[in-house]
Amino acid sequence: MQPKKDLVILIVDDSPVSIKLLETMLRKEGYAVVTAKDGPTGKRLAMEVMPDLVLLDIMMPGEDGFEVMKGLKKNARCATVPIIFLTGRDDMEAKLAGFELGAVDYITKPFHAPEVLARVRLHLKLSLATNSLIADQAYRLKQLEQAQTSMLTTPDDLPAARFSVHYSALHEAGGDFYDVFQISEDVFGYFVADVSGHDIATSFITAAVKALLKQNCTPIYSPVESMRMINDVLVEILPDGIYLTACYANLNRNKNLLSIVNAGHPPVVYQPKGGESRSVDVAGDVLGIFNEVCYAHENIEVDTGDRFFLYTDGLVERPADRRLWATCLPELLAACDKLKDVPVHESASKLLKELTNGGRVPEDDIVVLGVEV
Amino acid sequence: MNFTEMAEAIGLAEDEFLELVDLFLETSASDLGALRSAIDEQDTRQVVEAVHSLKGSAGNLGFSQIYEIARKVEENARRDSLEGASEAVEAMRKIYNEIVSTARG
Repeated sequence: MQPKKDLVILIVDDSPVSIKLLETMLRKEGYAVVTAKDGPTGKRLAMEVMPDLVLLDIMMPGEDGFEVMKGLKKNARCATVPIIFLTGRDDMEAKLAGFELGAVDYITKPFHAPEVLARVRLHLKLSLATNSLIADQAYRLKQLEQAQTSMLTTPDDLPAARFSVHYSALHEAGGDFYDVFQISEDVFGYFVADVSGHDIATSFITAAVKALLKQNCTPIYSPVESMRMINDVLVEILPDGIYLTACYANLNRNKNLLSIVNAGHPPVVYQPKGGESRSVDVAGDVLGIFNEVCYAHENIEVDTGDRFFLYTDGLVERPADRRLWATCLPELLAACDKLKDVPVHESASKLLKELTNGGRVPEDDIVVLGVEV
Repeated sequence: MNFTEMAEAIGLAEDEFLELVDLFLETSASDLGALRSAIDEQDTRQVVEAVHSLKGSAGNLGFSQIYEIARKVEENARRDSLEGASEAVEAMRKIYNEIVSTARG
């Protein structure tokens, strides 16, 4: 929420009495007022102060109101500020010219206080409503832009999340995607997804998913709810036939609770400290195809030192061999156990090495995400 | 000339109105002076400027007599005629003095 500040009205009029009258009227209503007695000062103040509305006298010696209006409309910063011009009663030509230049309304002189206040109020309301719509959309688009420029969170970006990651993409526009994000002081989200398809469309999708995670994984939604909301948006925006598999692990270090949701993705591997790894099998529909989706979840009580791994099927599948991840699981679990004493910041890369014997040629994107509670 | 009523008519407290009257007296004194010289020099453009300003401030505060007189002078001057301009200035000056005494009273 923005801090509350007064709405600012700029009055440009060469008559001192007009200015003072308008100023007095508007201040009484609670507006902040800035005044200028000629065109050039008016333009300068408009840029400096960025008023919420301008009351502009047309008939001024030197630079008249029309010139001032043209100047304001030309400048990108002030172009959208609503301008109400002040004109004599019988000046029809001036009124038309004013509207043509972009004014939103006019007020005739001599002023009638209730009319001035009513029009000012109306145009402020209209302008604020429009700006808020624009600000809203810009905020949403900015999310997307930020997502694209810093798509993959590195362990150094978020050391409190305590993870390591390996990411390799077969093509530049990778179809695999991961994100690690902080939901609140002690709650972190770990997300890994695999997009079916490897083209330009997928990079837009991964940016969109990153933005969706930010918007929908908040303390007020359960992991299942978050996944469902993400699915609902993806159903709308994904091209036909494109879908995602994904898994989402929500770790609450305060409650020592790990909550896992899975959308058709290879299972998360959970490795309790000093114990044996196991896969966390949680059923769920793939993302982006079905309007009605169903997600189960599993809550695991965890302790400091426990680990869990998220990954994409590139880690374990060997399509050339026709081995699917279900059959490769035992190998994966054994590998995790073997590496249980490896420090977490090396766990992802070491796990990959272990499974590929250092030499396998990648046939798919690979994401490995290792996290320590 | 009832300032209390005039103040109410434009939605101001009396003290706010009186402040504006003071400002009006200041600016219209200079406008009247400029108007006088412009008429003497037969400079219709200057007349328009001075009387337009007088008209505006008088109208804003509700001094309708001055407003009407000024309006006529402006209309004529825009058509390049200074007919009745001198008499108009005298009339406005008289009213101006009335305002001064009401303000002081």
